[in-house]
Amino acid sequence: MTGPSYGALLDAVRGVHWQARRAVTSAMAGTHHSKLRGTSAEFTEYRLYRQGDDPRRIDWRLLGRSDRAYIRLATDRAILPTMLVLDTSASMAFPIATRAKWRLAQQIAIGLAAVVHADGDPIGVAVRNDRGIERVLPPRTRRGVVSDIARVVDDVQPAGADPLAPRVAVLRSARVAVLTDLLGDSDALLGVARARVAAGGEIHVIHIVAREELDPPRRPILAADPEQPTLQRLLVDSTRRAYDDAFGAWRAEMARAWRATGAMYAEVVTDEPVPHAVRRIAEAPGVGGVPR
Amino acid sequence: MSWLLPSALWAAGAAVLAAIVLHFIARSRPLAESLPTARFVPQRPVHARARSIALSDVVLLLLRSAAVLALGAAVAGPVFAVSRGRVTRIIVVDQSRDVGDAREARDSARSVFRDGDVLVAFDSVATRLSGSTALDSSGPTDAPGSLSAALAISLRVAAQLSPRSDSFELVVVSPVSADEIDQATLAIRTEWPGGIRLVPLRGAVGNERAPRVESAMGQNDMVIAGLSLMGVVRANANVRILRDRPSASDTVWARDTAHVLVSWPATDRAAAWQQRATIDAIGGVTSSTGVLIGRFPRVWALRGHAVARWADGEPAVVENAVGRGCIREVGILFDPASDITLRAPFRQFVAALLAPCGGIRPSARADSLFLASLAGGTPLRHLAASSALRERTTESSTWTPWLLGVGAILLVVEMATRKSDRRLA
Repeated sequence: MTGPSYGALLDAVRGVHWQARRAVTSAMAGTHHSKLRGTSAEFTEYRLYRQGDDPRRIDWRLLGRSDRAYIRLATDRAILPTMLVLDTSASMAFPIATRAKWRLAQQIAIGLAAVVHADGDPIGVAVRNDRGIERVLPPRTRRGVVSDIARVVDDVQPAGADPLAPRVAVLRSARVAVLTDLLGDSDALLGVARARVAAGGEIHVIHIVAREELDPPRRPILAADPEQPTLQRLLVDSTRRAYDDAFGAWRAEMARAWRATGAMYAEVVTDEPVPHAVRRIAEAPGVGGVPR
Repeated sequence: MSWLLPSALWAAGAAVLAAIVLHFIARSRPLAESLPTARFVPQRPVHARARSIALSDVVLLLLRSAAVLALGAAVAGPVFAVSRGRVTRIIVVDQSRDVGDAREARDSARSVFRDGDVLVAFDSVATRLSGSTALDSSGPTDAPGSLSAALAISLRVAAQLSPRSDSFELVVVSPVSADEIDQATLAIRTEWPGGIRLVPLRGAVGNERAPRVESAMGQNDMVIAGLSLMGVVRANANVRILRDRPSASDTVWARDTAHVLVSWPATDRAAAWQQRATIDAIGGVTSSTGVLIGRFPRVWALRGHAVARWADGEPAVVENAVGRGCIREVGILFDPASDITLRAPFRQFVAALLAPCGGIRPSARADSLFLASLAGGTPLRHLAASSALRERTTESSTWTPWLLGVGAILLVVEMATRKSDRRLA
């Protein structure tokens, strides 16, 4: 049972499916296309019998009609264990008054968890609280796992500047979704993602951007990085244009670099409706994967 | 509407103008605010200053300006006149000894009196009367007149009544004798912003009047015996002779009735005056009416206006004013065995001691130049504007507390708005 604040969100994402972008290797039956081909009822094709094949898989009727031995192949469907990783660095607690970035990351995580759970896939979450303690809920499919995830993410307040890459690197789930503003160790995280994709895993990066970052206040401000208090820059009319250009170029570079690794990249701005963002992330076209 | 302190309005206006100018030229150092993407801002020196023209700042400016104006208006003290076009007449009636005919004074006052006018009677002090009927009960006195006192109370009365009247007319019913003028009279006159209508009376011929002496001592007292020979010891006295220390009731009698209290100790122990460092004797004493020759001990060093002097010029008799009357201290001791008080020189000498307070002065009307200065004004400026008579040091505006409250509320709103802006930032 999730908290009342997520009720509308869960209703809104009902019916959304988050398919694997490529065939999965899991052995347990699920809804995603599996790389394995077995004896399931869903027929795919015939293949000539080769030495070593299990004789029990020979289609004897076809052998009787054609005098050739064929093996009946069927496509297996498997589950896709998914882990959600939330960036809990201090930059996520922006703007100070509303914490819109962290609130958006929480809601997207709950929405994606509900979608994954509805697909019958195991879903888990990994967050780090303000005391630096990593809380990990391993992927599960049991009822109530979405509520558990909601409780875990609700208990966390963004603080500090802990790196994200080591936390992602230790996860073994086939699909990992990272909700981050990429303002921390983005290069290291990119390397981890590249290795995971190369190993056949699937990684999604949901880039959280605050509207106030895209359009800072028009009055002069002395902008201070919450993760590096000594970094203070004067944002005035004369520097605003350069800021807009630099920030836009960086976001474009992030999108290009992440997609180049084979990861799924989606930028979500804080004023975008959460159900819309969840649907956009889950139903994005795959990269060389298996379309639904 | 008028203002008690218009300069406060000018000061408030200048403050608002300064605030507006500062708002548009002042540059403030921006506050450090959290922005995770600060790294994308080009490097600039952080000590740069910037100007803000955000809408919230305009609201703040308006709030500040309104608060300053409200506080300035509160200090300036707006006064709203209740009536328009009303002229209040202040009639000052002379009742001093300088008035030749008291009935003439009353009739003259009544002839100019109308309902709503203010009556003021004066001799050496001035008193506001409750109405024209009070003229009958307040008769002429023996006190000298004081135009300064009359003008001063007229100014005070006008200041008190200024919220209810637009203009004042001052009418002085008096012979305006020279005796009633002092050095402050013209200075006080200049404080009255309009002209003064003079209703002249016939002045007294002089202030000399027959003394009527009373004393608690009997005819066995040598001074009283000497006065008896003059035939001045009579009832309804205007001179009281004391041969002992005066009591409080004696002083009150002199103060309230404008009569003369003569303290003439019979012995050196009958007075508590300051004694001379050296007690000596002198051969004569003189007053304005006579000379007394004899050998008199000098015991006291008297202070006051000298009425009689010893032969070496030292005061032998002094006069001190008390209220409308006076007390004369006589430092002349007679040998009890002497018959000096029964002789004619004593009667001539003592006449000055029995004279009205201030001495015998011939009555003389003030000169025409002074009268012109006293009347002053022009036909167009005969009335005095109430705004010029307002007693600014003591008068208060009923709007001041409300304006102060409005100013305080505006300041609180301004502070809340400022804090709200910072919090949202």
